[in-house]
Amino acid sequence: MTKLLEVNNLHTRFKVRNGYLHAVNGVSFSLDRGEMLGVVGESGCGKSVSMMSLIRLLPPAAEITDGEVLLEGEDITHASVNRVNAIRGSKVGMIFQDPMTSLNPFMKIGEQVIESIVFHKKLAKAEALKQAARYLKMVGISNAEHRLNEYPHQLSGGMRQRVMIAMALLNEPSLVIADEPTTALDVTIQAQIVELVKGLREKLNMSIIWITHDLSLLAGMVDRIMVMYGGYIVEEAVLDDIYKSPLHPYTIGLLKSIPSLKTEAGSRLPSIPGAPPNLFAEPTGCPFAPRCTYRVDRCTREVPALATVPGAEGDRPHRVACWVDMRGRGIAQ
Amino acid sequence: MTDQALPLPQEEKQFSLAKDAFIRLVANRLAVVGMVLVAFLFFIAIFGPYLTPYDFLSQDLLSRNQAPSWQHWFGTDDLGRDILSRVIYGSRTAVIVGFSTVSFSLVIGLFMGALGGYFGGKVDAFVVWLIDITMSIPSLLLVIVINVSLKPPLVNWMDAQFVATGNEFYRNTIWVDFVLVFGSLALIKWPKAARIIRGQILSIRNKNYVLAAEALGVPTYKIVRRYVIPNAIGPIIVYISAALGEAMVLESSFSFLGVGVRPPIPSWGNMISDGLRIWQLYPHVLAAPAAVLAIVTIAFSFLGDGLNDALNPRQWK
Repeated sequence: MTKLLEVNNLHTRFKVRNGYLHAVNGVSFSLDRGEMLGVVGESGCGKSVSMMSLIRLLPPAAEITDGEVLLEGEDITHASVNRVNAIRGSKVGMIFQDPMTSLNPFMKIGEQVIESIVFHKKLAKAEALKQAARYLKMVGISNAEHRLNEYPHQLSGGMRQRVMIAMALLNEPSLVIADEPTTALDVTIQAQIVELVKGLREKLNMSIIWITHDLSLLAGMVDRIMVMYGGYIVEEAVLDDIYKSPLHPYTIGLLKSIPSLKTEAGSRLPSIPGAPPNLFAEPTGCPFAPRCTYRVDRCTREVPALATVPGAEGDRPHRVACWVDMRGRGIAQ
Repeated sequence: MTDQALPLPQEEKQFSLAKDAFIRLVANRLAVVGMVLVAFLFFIAIFGPYLTPYDFLSQDLLSRNQAPSWQHWFGTDDLGRDILSRVIYGSRTAVIVGFSTVSFSLVIGLFMGALGGYFGGKVDAFVVWLIDITMSIPSLLLVIVINVSLKPPLVNWMDAQFVATGNEFYRNTIWVDFVLVFGSLALIKWPKAARIIRGQILSIRNKNYVLAAEALGVPTYKIVRRYVIPNAIGPIIVYISAALGEAMVLESSFSFLGVGVRPPIPSWGNMISDGLRIWQLYPHVLAAPAAVLAIVTIAFSFLGDGLNDALNPRQWK
């Protein structure tokens, strides 16, 4: 498989009233063509910001201070604004969290869907509308020609998310970043959207980065999972390894807090005590140390590097950032 | 089966937002009433002075304060002038004052509001500070100060120019009145426009659909034209329609106080103030201009309200 995306030592920080908020602290990973990667973590762990940094879609207060992002070998971090604009939408598609507010209420679905394709591919409007109708059908919207002529408020939440997906896919991007696309939807619609994306991925052979805080959602969907905490990647492995032999205490905690049918009635759901760290100062030790039950002295003094687990090297190595060897001490499932 | 695109069924007619909006506007009865009245006002303001039965200045001292009759539909005032003719001529004053004031205040407000909303930070703080300062000055006081302090030098200057050049334009000092009235009204009114525009830009800039458009690589000018402006336009239209009526009322109250448009040029305001002195005996002298002013103000609100509903797809039934 060929590498589609390579991210090296990415740092992003926000300027705040008195100092900086370090949201992404040296994130490195790569993505193969056609691969689906899940990014997991609590709110405020830097997962959205790091993925938005890939295409520099950041608020004015944020800046990328270090690192590089290579998409098909092209450096995006240092590219011109015009070039980044050309990449957005054509090579990289985005699906957002809240479909209810992600569509301009003053534009018809059709006009909005074709906007990027008219801009990027210089297609005639009529031709673009035909293609839009085809994509709307593909994402499961019935009566697509009619829908093109409607305004966003005439569609339900699930429908709007389908429209957003069609919009992101219309230019046939090689990478789609989905930022919690099902969080605002109810569970049945969520399942439909997940199935839809899985099907489309096979059909169009694109790479997908799926950001979520719901580990259970990723089972049976993604190839690989990346767990983020405090702006760091703390663990990265193929799907099975994350579920069967998690090696970072944070991953273990996340997995334990998924309710299962085996949980005894009346018992308390395990949770991770404490809250994610505030990121105003770059941490001097492991960001998870204050909440970690396995911590040793070293954890508070040195930031653990993301290192390959011995015996799990290869094409998709199992990497973990922890001073404690957690092998065999995780969860027994 | 081959993956062939099905022939598209007969498309429904695609209308642009503007055309859609017009269809909705026409369907709204009150808005149509407002629209007709406003159109009529414009017609009168432009062509009225050529259609009046009498000259608005010609006095007929033998028929003073006559009640409405077939000769004088709205009656005559205390100098025997035909009130209908004066109301018609006053519509010109009202339209000129209304539109100049609103466009001046909108230009200043648009510039300041966009500046604050777009750049934020210290620029925004300065704009807000300026808005607050301006709004804290009592408007009547400001207008009186401007009139009293600026009018005599301006009039003297125009007289001097007339003597020096002999240009007829400088002889008619009525323009000084107009400029001072527009200028001071615009100075009073811009903060309101600036506030609305600043708020709109601030909130729309952070909307998800703008982020989504950015993520699709839509260029900035398109985002401004197709995302920011249509979403911001509703409150601005309402502001315009309200401000038009308001400016006419304000002009009237300034004229009433003697700082606005001076007689003999009729404005509805100075007619009302004339009428107030004798309304117990001759109510029609007050009633005619007051009723016309009220009707025009209401017509503008109907139209503005209808436009706001028509331009916002979410309001459609």
